[in-house]
Amino acid sequence: MLSSRFNSFTDYGIGIGLRIPHYQHILEKKPVVDWFEIISENYMVDAGRPLYVLDQILQQYRVVQHGVSLYFGNASRPNRDHLRKLKNLVKRTRTPWLSDHLCWGSVDGRYTHDLLPMPYTWEAVEKTAANICEARDFLGVPLAVENVSSYAEFHMSEMSEWEFLCEVVERADCGILLDVNNIYVSSKNHGFDPQTYIDAVPANRVAQIHLAGHSKFEKYILDTHDHPVLDPVWRLYARAIERVGRTATLLEWDDRIPSFDDVHREALKASRFLPYEAAAA
Amino acid sequence: MKRPPPNRLADLQAVMAKAVMRPLTRDDAMQRTWTDGSPTAEVAAQFIKPNDRLDSFDRLEIYNQQYWWRLLGNFAEDFRGLRAVLGERRFDKLAVAYLDHCGSMSWSLRNLGDRLEEFLREHPKLTAPHSSIALDMVRVEWARVLAFDSDSRSPLAREEVRDIPTELLRFGLQRHLILLKLGYPVDELLGKLKRQSEMETGIASNAVAGAHSRPRRRLTARASNAPIYLAVHRQRFSVYYKRLDPEAYHLLCALRDGTPLENACALAFANSTESSQVMAEKTRSWFNDWMGFGWLTRPA
Repeated sequence: MLSSRFNSFTDYGIGIGLRIPHYQHILEKKPVVDWFEIISENYMVDAGRPLYVLDQILQQYRVVQHGVSLYFGNASRPNRDHLRKLKNLVKRTRTPWLSDHLCWGSVDGRYTHDLLPMPYTWEAVEKTAANICEARDFLGVPLAVENVSSYAEFHMSEMSEWEFLCEVVERADCGILLDVNNIYVSSKNHGFDPQTYIDAVPANRVAQIHLAGHSKFEKYILDTHDHPVLDPVWRLYARAIERVGRTATLLEWDDRIPSFDDVHREALKASRFLPYEAAAA
Repeated sequence: MKRPPPNRLADLQAVMAKAVMRPLTRDDAMQRTWTDGSPTAEVAAQFIKPNDRLDSFDRLEIYNQQYWWRLLGNFAEDFRGLRAVLGERRFDKLAVAYLDHCGSMSWSLRNLGDRLEEFLREHPKLTAPHSSIALDMVRVEWARVLAFDSDSRSPLAREEVRDIPTELLRFGLQRHLILLKLGYPVDELLGKLKRQSEMETGIASNAVAGAHSRPRRRLTARASNAPIYLAVHRQRFSVYYKRLDPEAYHLLCALRDGTPLENACALAFANSTESSQVMAEKTRSWFNDWMGFGWLTRPA
């Protein structure tokens, strides 16, 4: 399958999230890893150990930025101070694309530090797409938006989550970071068929895929990123790859983090489903 | 009067954010009564759909709990010393009061404690009878946060200042150097807490992965007979504490505030009974140390 303008980095293969407990191992052992994803906010500081480690990682590895607090779905416009700091980091990492979530999270400058679900309305489509465009124009780097796990749905929604995602990315003309674990978690919490979601996503806009583990509770599933990837999520990943072709894939593991080798081994399971990259002509 | 359901994006986000940020009950549940006295379940039902397993209240409660557990977890990590000084129950109560009152006004959780010192000064009852030591602890722990990742400027080289007369000579200080005057030896308490935590981590490492060590006994200290002058600073990529002589502290404060060296020395030694030769030797020795630490920079 040919790559699209949103998926021009098919050589990125399988990456893992850069996490503090693995710093020493990575810097000392220099393991072979296709790429690392960093949480942008952890490195949007003036100096100190975070940037020192990042600079060393950048000398050895490809790094892609992933954010957690741009809140494209806020009713307000993006925070300019945040964008300025993010742009400084973009210059440092030279990230080929940058992602954040299709969610909201702050009101009147007060932050929840959560990825809160959107009401799927036409008003929200317009506002979210406008915010994405403003951020992209300021940052000057391709953007991809990630679908979040959710535990609530709103009466005011006028469409399904996947219809909302499609409308937003078409209007903003941006890429998608397709989190197949989030689709699975939300499908169980809201009772929809996750394959319907995967099949509805515009394949040519998928820039990256996320995998992760989750936790099952009696009445709902929580997106905890503290387990290996479960079989139903691998099946969804297989279906997604069938549709979108070879795509940069990343395993997120954020809590109860095992050794670097364990995390990397879990991530590399994705290679079973990922077609080989065609040799350059 | 019945309140209309939110039908605009901004209205929905305002009411949901208000619900998410309301403190939990003692049982870590969402409050049953809304701010106007009506049932929270009614408010939740106006904008959140129920499903076959959870009603609107239950679904909103997941976000309410996640918000508080995340913020309280981060706050406790940043202020382990304060928790040790107050004890867990007092600390938890204070944390909820602070976060409810001040919230997080930054996209970064790093800044969660940026208004804590001010909050404690305004609400001394929350820390009484340990208010003074609690305040000292918070000042040092917040200084740690600042020192960890604050900007670093090129340290001043000796050659840059050699030929400038002392009455004109000015310095700047690194932003990752924070100077504090304290009434309690909280630096020693933090050292004790660190050793305690390292021991617990070692013992617990084969048992409960990921569990946070929690101090079992409250840490206490007597007020110091004389003020303690402390530099909280970053060296390489770690944060350290260094006790200072009173005159050295006053000299550094004066330099930081832009006072030329000669006047700064006069201010620092204003109450000193030592000979000018001793003062000169001390000053030379301090400057050697400070240049070695890279604390001195060109004036801002």
